[in-house]
Amino acid sequence: MKYFILPMIFFFQFSYAVEEEITSWFNHQSEKFLEIMNNSDGQNNENYDEYIKFVEKNFAVKSIAYGLIPESILAKSDKSDLKNYEVSFQNYLTKTIYNLSNKTNSGEIKLIDIDLKDNIYQINSKIIEGRDSINLYWKVASINSSFKILDVIVENTSYFVTKKSEFSKILRRHRGDLVKLTEEINKI
Amino acid sequence: MNKYLKVIVLYLVIFLGLINISSAEENEVKPSVQYDEIYDPIEPINRAILGFNFFIDDIAIRPVIKTYKFIAPDPVEKGVSNFFGNLREPIRAIAFVFQGEFLKSLNSAGRFTVNTLTSLGTFDLASRVGMTKNETDIGLTLAKGGVSSGPYLVLPIIGPSNLRDFSGDVVEFFIDPVSNNLPNREYVSIGDGLNARAEVDEEIDLIRESSSDRYEMLKSIYYQNRNSQIEEDFVQNLPTPKIYIE
Repeated sequence: MKYFILPMIFFFQFSYAVEEEITSWFNHQSEKFLEIMNNSDGQNNENYDEYIKFVEKNFAVKSIAYGLIPESILAKSDKSDLKNYEVSFQNYLTKTIYNLSNKTNSGEIKLIDIDLKDNIYQINSKIIEGRDSINLYWKVASINSSFKILDVIVENTSYFVTKKSEFSKILRRHRGDLVKLTEEINKI
Repeated sequence: MNKYLKVIVLYLVIFLGLINISSAEENEVKPSVQYDEIYDPIEPINRAILGFNFFIDDIAIRPVIKTYKFIAPDPVEKGVSNFFGNLREPIRAIAFVFQGEFLKSLNSAGRFTVNTLTSLGTFDLASRVGMTKNETDIGLTLAKGGVSSGPYLVLPIIGPSNLRDFSGDVVEFFIDPVSNNLPNREYVSIGDGLNARAEVDEEIDLIRESSSDRYEMLKSIYYQNRNSQIEEDFVQNLPTPKIYIE
């Protein structure tokens, strides 16, 4: 019996520790994000560097960027094209978050619960502004022993799914040419 | 003529309801779709209509919405939104009956009664007393019964839809007990449409600015939102990127 109970105790303690770790990471990073948002006047780029650092630190940029294009294109593209695409995508992601933040009223981000499925944490949260609230889900993975965001789902719209549809269309239009996709991303 | 049309529509609803029951028993509803491969056989026509819609929006609708949002205080906007939302409660009650959700149907009927009697629907008192709002429509009823979405459609002025949801809208037009008994129904429809546009004003601005292909972006957002109303584990079922070491 003790051979059964001991691993169970270890497992539950481990799960609890991981959940506590991700909760602490989430609370810290959401606070940091609100702080960056509140320091921005929405007019100039003085705060843009903070957004660059935030995206670099917290987003799984490579996983998202590579996930947006078919594996066949990944396999046939050369390393420098892939690197250029990844850098362009990171800039694009940063700009999107920056523009979105400057248009949104910063309220409170409240954690509701955390689920784990296929090694991916699904964090359910709400942005609360007065009496209004917006549902916000985050898909987060532990990569190289730090938590990285794989997708953000705002009011049932996934960033990853939406961008995948757009990028697939651009790639189809340009017969799978990654360089053309990179050029299109840079134009936005 | 109108009477016969109503009878035909009701038959259609009942017939589709029967199909729903039989197909729901045979196989589990699985509305998950490959979002980048949505069935879109008339894409060139849809793109042209979307271009037309954005043109009309630019020259006529958007300026009206921006002025309205600038002038109207938030409580007024909320009241208008509640008013039009309340007019949809009876159709929700009917849709829930077809879904076999009788308690939700009663809840929608109750919400309509409470909100109409207390404030003509401009204040959502029902939610405050525990009668929470449940969204549904005839299109969702068909989806939950196993009817597939059919081809993606962009409708002039109205916007994104698909054959199933558009059929649902047509059925609603004929069986909606409120709109069918209102004088000047067309004005109510225009008001409802403008209110719906005002509610997504910020999202439309974002699509204009941040999209490399706004047609694809709108299509994806439309399907994700509809699927979120159909699937219980919608967020969990969304595709997630494969992990690469950063």
